[in-house]
Amino acid sequence: MAQEGLSRALRGTFRSIGAAPRPQCQRAIRQARRALLPSTARCISSTAPRPAELISETREPFTAAPPINFDAQDAAQGARGRDVKVILKNLRVVPASPSYFSAKPTFNDDYIKLTALLRKVATLPTVPNSEAPKVAWKGIDEYRIMTNEPVKTQRFHKMLHIVRRLNTIHPSLMPEEVTIAMQRYKKASQPGDVKPNPGVIDELGRAKGVGRRKTSSAVAWLVDGEGEVLINGKTLAEFFGRLHDRESAVWALKATHRLDKYNVWGLVQGGGVTGQAEALTLAVAKALLVHEPALKPALRRAGCVTRDMRKVERKKAGHVKARKMPAWVKR
Amino acid sequence: MASSTCLRRFSQLSLDRATQPAFAPRSLLAATQASCFSTSAARHANPTGKKGMGAAPKRGTKTLNVKKGRKDTVKDLSKKPSPGDRKAMRKRIVLSNNNALEVPGLKDLEKDNALDPSNEGKVMGLAENVVDALRAVEAFKPSQGWSLFRRPATLMRKETIQVAQLLKEAEEAPEGQAKKTLRRILTGQRMSGKSTLILQGLAMGVLRDWVVIHLPEGQDLVNAHTEYAPLPGSQPTQYTQDLYTANLLSQIIKANEKILASININTNPSLPFPLPANSNLKQLADLGIINPEASWPVFAALWKELTQPGRPPIMLGLDGLSHVMGESQYMSAEVKRIHAFDLTIVRHFIDHLSGKVALPNGGLVLAATTKSNSPTSPALDFSIQVAEARQNKASDLPQWNPYANVDQRAMEALKDIEVLKVGGMSKEEARSIMEYYAASGMLRAKVDEGFVTEKWSLAGMGNIGELERASVRLRV
Repeated sequence: MAQEGLSRALRGTFRSIGAAPRPQCQRAIRQARRALLPSTARCISSTAPRPAELISETREPFTAAPPINFDAQDAAQGARGRDVKVILKNLRVVPASPSYFSAKPTFNDDYIKLTALLRKVATLPTVPNSEAPKVAWKGIDEYRIMTNEPVKTQRFHKMLHIVRRLNTIHPSLMPEEVTIAMQRYKKASQPGDVKPNPGVIDELGRAKGVGRRKTSSAVAWLVDGEGEVLINGKTLAEFFGRLHDRESAVWALKATHRLDKYNVWGLVQGGGVTGQAEALTLAVAKALLVHEPALKPALRRAGCVTRDMRKVERKKAGHVKARKMPAWVKR
Repeated sequence: MASSTCLRRFSQLSLDRATQPAFAPRSLLAATQASCFSTSAARHANPTGKKGMGAAPKRGTKTLNVKKGRKDTVKDLSKKPSPGDRKAMRKRIVLSNNNALEVPGLKDLEKDNALDPSNEGKVMGLAENVVDALRAVEAFKPSQGWSLFRRPATLMRKETIQVAQLLKEAEEAPEGQAKKTLRRILTGQRMSGKSTLILQGLAMGVLRDWVVIHLPEGQDLVNAHTEYAPLPGSQPTQYTQDLYTANLLSQIIKANEKILASININTNPSLPFPLPANSNLKQLADLGIINPEASWPVFAALWKELTQPGRPPIMLGLDGLSHVMGESQYMSAEVKRIHAFDLTIVRHFIDHLSGKVALPNGGLVLAATTKSNSPTSPALDFSIQVAEARQNKASDLPQWNPYANVDQRAMEALKDIEVLKVGGMSKEEARSIMEYYAASGMLRAKVDEGFVTEKWSLAGMGNIGELERASVRLRV
């Protein structure tokens, strides 16, 4: 960072040489930032670095300042016929950023810039936090990698506090510059970016849904009907011995009083009986949502929308099971 | 390696020297005694002198635990059931529940309306005499839910009406034609009501003054729990089950007392004991019960009498068909398993089921398969598949895999059988039976469209056993 700041400062000096006697406190264009080390050096691994690892670290682009030919510049100055005889070699180079010597110049600049921005837009009306657009902000680690500066957690959070405050500006009045400034602190992928394809009802009136639970996975097709259920070609009573499992399998329909409106074909594989039943719950609920999207809140209240991600924890070496340790034995 | 061996030798040498006091003073190695390489001796010394402070026993080693026996000395003082009580409890059949409500407007099945197709979808009660007859032939099963209601009543399902039609068909032969013998195998899912359908058939038979004969469990015939003997003069050897046959005779008498008492013997059966003159069939069967060793000849004579012209039609029933579709547990004199078809009673039934022997006075042969306790019988499964395909008028009948093993005799017997599939109930039937449950006070819910549909779906599209389980037995 130090070199980068220096090179930027040098270039700034060089440009402004004719205008002002002392180029200082003028921010050069943000273009020359980079980390000192090559990005591969961060991987503490003996294996060859994978491309994904390298790409994931987003650094800002870097271009070195061009070398300065002092003699040619002097000659040019002379040719222009200026009165002031400036000897470039004698000029003191001053960093572009006043926080250059603070060890965290980028962070400090960011912070100052955000504070200034907030001061500027502080009078704009805001919405409550809960109504502000949902944004996934960069974490501290991500920010550290981006700037390559040892930013402290607390300070980072202070900065993020300002960013969040900016985010609460009423969306219809949000200034362009704030939007651009906030972009720097947003994660690459935002929640809601990935939208699943809307389900379709095919020409035969079937809607498909897929559900999983533990190690079971189920596919269900829902058609208009009168409550007939076939799972892997068997009736519900044949396939599930327990009444509880039968109820689980068609719970989405039962909870919304739609059991007599649809017929279900299910294919389910893997896992045990309970897992299969609960995988079917999810599959049937998703298929039902294709038919009637307005049922989503009711289904969510019935617990049919969220996939239960819990799975069997793996066994670890040195343990008897996932967590259990062998009994202590003297000698 | 070599150096460590060397060191060990050296230490042993020093110990050896120590054990020889005569040489000790002179030994050059005497001074090295203290610096022994092994410390195990010191560790074994146990300076505290306490016992049991040593290392815990290794895993898997057996230790003497004297205290073990002293624990749990409190004996179970509760009274154990005496021998046979548990089985009696298990097999006990309860047909009434005093806590259940009397269902108002419950009509009984009677002789006139027993075969009426308009009964479909109604719950009909069983009259006292019918219940007695059915109990005598062991048509009720402990697993069925008779003990939940005030008195036995059954739902007249679509399949029941089909059976009623069969009875009607067997009774009413067109002019100038022989009366029909109808044969059906009842198949369907587990708890779909196959045994109950046989029971309904038997009940209708009792009401219509048929002679009702029922083999309540195929397994009892072949599991070698009753004595058996070769039938003299049979080629190839057949085997009689005398006690079982005697018991069957007594069941037949109890169930059909009135009919048998009203028929006099008009053939001249050759029996090992003298028969009183002008005796009726009941007296004949009684003699078979008294002399179990002659029970089979008596049964044969009884059957001969019943198949004389002008006698009532016969209803033959068997539950648990797949048990008799292979080799039995009985052993022959050559210590080979006897095929179930070589047992006289089974052969008698199978002859009628396969259509080899007809009932001249008309009749119905019903055999129910079972799904909960049944040995695999590929011949039976395949025959049912073929029969279903034939009934559905399928263009290509299923082909037997020629490399698979099959019981050829069973295959032959089931060649042209007809199947009556006991499926799920319709929603109207489900509603009818659930209203009966509610009227009995066993189902405390409002029986409406949504409730019926929900239970119907959860019961696997109207499986009646599951429906009963879900709505009456498992009340949450």
